[in-house]
Amino acid sequence: MKRRRVFVVGILVGAILVGAVVSIVTTPELPETSTNVEAWMQPHTAWGDPDFQGVWRYEATIPLERPREYEGRAFLTDEEVEDIARVEQELSANRLAGFEGAAVGRRTLSESPIRGNEYNSFWQYHGRARQAYRQTSLITDPPNGRLPYTEDARQAAARSTARYGVGPYESYLDPDTGERCLTDGVTATMWQGPNGGHNRIVQSPGYVTIVHEEYQDRRIIPVDGGSHRGIPQWLGDSVGHWEGDTLVVETTNFSNKMHYEWANIWTRVSDTLRLVERFQRVGPDTMEYTITVDDPKTFTTPWTAVVPILRLPDNTQIYEYACHEGNYALSNILSAGRAIAADE
Amino acid sequence: MQQGPQRSSVTVVTAVAAVIVVYGSPLWGQAVDYVAPRTVAGWPDLNGVWQALNTANYDIQAHPARPALALVPAPPSTTAPPGTDWAIPGELPAPAVRALGAVGGVPAGEGVVVGNEIPYQPWAALIKQENAENWLERDPEIKCYLPGVPRATYMPYPFQILQGVDKILIAYEFAGATRTIHMDDVGNSPGPTWMGWSRGRWEGETLVVDVTGFNGQTWFDRAGNFHSDALHVTERYTPISPNHLIYEATIEDPNVFTESWTIEMPLYRRLETDKRLLEYECVEFVEQLMYGELGVFDPADGQRGE
Amino acid sequence: MRTNLAIGLIATVQFLAAGSVSAHHAFAAEFDATQPVKLEGTIAKMEWISPHSWLHLDVQKPDGTVERWMIEGGPPNALFRRGFTQESLPVGIEIIVEGFRARDGSLRANGRDITFSDGSRPFVGSFGTGTP
Repeated sequence: MKRRRVFVVGILVGAILVGAVVSIVTTPELPETSTNVEAWMQPHTAWGDPDFQGVWRYEATIPLERPREYEGRAFLTDEEVEDIARVEQELSANRLAGFEGAAVGRRTLSESPIRGNEYNSFWQYHGRARQAYRQTSLITDPPNGRLPYTEDARQAAARSTARYGVGPYESYLDPDTGERCLTDGVTATMWQGPNGGHNRIVQSPGYVTIVHEEYQDRRIIPVDGGSHRGIPQWLGDSVGHWEGDTLVVETTNFSNKMHYEWANIWTRVSDTLRLVERFQRVGPDTMEYTITVDDPKTFTTPWTAVVPILRLPDNTQIYEYACHEGNYALSNILSAGRAIAADE
Repeated sequence: MQQGPQRSSVTVVTAVAAVIVVYGSPLWGQAVDYVAPRTVAGWPDLNGVWQALNTANYDIQAHPARPALALVPAPPSTTAPPGTDWAIPGELPAPAVRALGAVGGVPAGEGVVVGNEIPYQPWAALIKQENAENWLERDPEIKCYLPGVPRATYMPYPFQILQGVDKILIAYEFAGATRTIHMDDVGNSPGPTWMGWSRGRWEGETLVVDVTGFNGQTWFDRAGNFHSDALHVTERYTPISPNHLIYEATIEDPNVFTESWTIEMPLYRRLETDKRLLEYECVEFVEQLMYGELGVFDPADGQRGE
Repeated sequence: MRTNLAIGLIATVQFLAAGSVSAHHAFAAEFDATQPVKLEGTIAKMEWISPHSWLHLDVQKPDGTVERWMIEGGPPNALFRRGFTQESLPVGIEIIVEGFRARDGSLRANGRDITFSDGSRPFVGSFGTGTP
């Protein structure tokens, strides 16, 4: 029953998505979208698999969870979408000019709150405005658009937020898995990343390989049959198959890493975590990525997000992200912890 | 091994081959005339999981077995009367690795360097010696740092070649390292890297990869062989049978060496059905070593008190 | 009308902010937001590495001595994508860094804002024919 509801929601959102693609607010730097979306045909590799190759990135403004002010609404009105697009254009112009401050109208460093603006935007800005979509949340199931945390997980998330900047930072276990340069997990790799979240997809007969720029997270997914290995791993054990032109990937056998700090509790990895992902291209430069996350140790029910992902120009590269090798920050955090303890 | 009347000719052939291997020119590449199956796109098919089977990661030059990777000289005797002839130890395993016993020993190897000589500039030869003597503090492999090229090829872990359109990935099990070989036209690396910036092309049956953009912080092996950020590696991957590649890497670095030099080895296909790379995410394994004593409390000492 | 528009914009901005990635905690754990610094100096070297790039800055003190500061920047990959490379900020250039001092009191700061003495900023916009 639940599966059919997800399916129906997926179809509905997919239809809206196709419509939204046409009404995207574009900037000159965006790749050209076909004016006749219905005529686009899924390309195939030389050996006949649906072709997803390229560098992909999430560049939309949709939050993971539905904000309180949009409670009960799965979609925004056209005016609201236009407002968001207009604000995003101005933010983009601010970033391009190197101005600090993520909010409209704020143009100087001193007017900007520190949190979220720790570094001038030129370090992060990729040169394009984000696109506005009508979805009020990436999460489409449960219907309230919010993460169905267990009580334990809700408390863990609250504790994680409360620890920000407060600590303690007394050993290498106190920073989160990303700050330790381990990984941020698989769940959000197709649409998030501390450095902007780029993914290159390379295909060869029998495999779809996803190289995520951050932490060098790499997933080599067999797609021509094959079984799960039963060996627990940080990124689990993925097996894919084709359903028409859609790639379906099931991932199990995650290691249990719940005893570590996670920047986002909803991405944390446990031995009962199970992911089902669906990759479907819906246009020459867009993919609809659907993920269902199932982990009774963190969520009361499985939840599903539908994420629009953009294909970047062919000359886009994935750069090395040698996080551990360059991690001065971790030893600096620990020396700061010692200094604070010495003062007390 | 064959016995009887053929034994002497086997001995002769082995001796000749040994001479060629130690002193001479590439043996395999010239002798074999193999044409690999093609990918659907028409290129030699190198897809698969491969692994080197030698001791190059210990030392790319010929070397005997020895007790440990970190050795200390035997302490001078303070009790032997003058003129006595008591037995003394040679080098001993360093205390930090002594408990590993035979697990921590270094196996012998015939070397993978063509000509067995590495043409260091004089100052660099001294640094190499220092690196070997300070292996425990200096080898980047110990800290799970990315191994660079060509060392990643002959680490004792498998790697997978995945041939896409315009990009060939080489995915290494060690530390999850991944290289993108650009078969299309890309510029230079915008910044220095651990794994290099790789541009590839086909020459007949051989994949030739030009690697630059190094940061100079990797080693060639556990024996302290090193380079600068001017390193330029030219790799050649040539199939010689359905399950073997010959791997050659020519090293140029005018900051460190007086001339270029080459290493060479076979690579073997992992034949297990549906062989997959597994995780060796060693960053987690080395945190206690690198950070354990830097914090207010040490996780190895037990849980933090309240 | 104007008030409604302002409220609408604020709501929009909060909506947009809600979508951003939950930041890693490194800044607040490393640096002290109550200790702002403003440093003028010349670049001794720049490490274009992840997760943070690092600028090594020689700052001349009034008494003539030179202090070597390490300035933590953001990751360089977004700059690479906009066409900047390791040659883009060569050794010897004079810059002004505004940020916050390291909590442990060492000569380290985060490079929240970087400007040239004329007020212009390095690394803004795109450079050359880099990818968009």
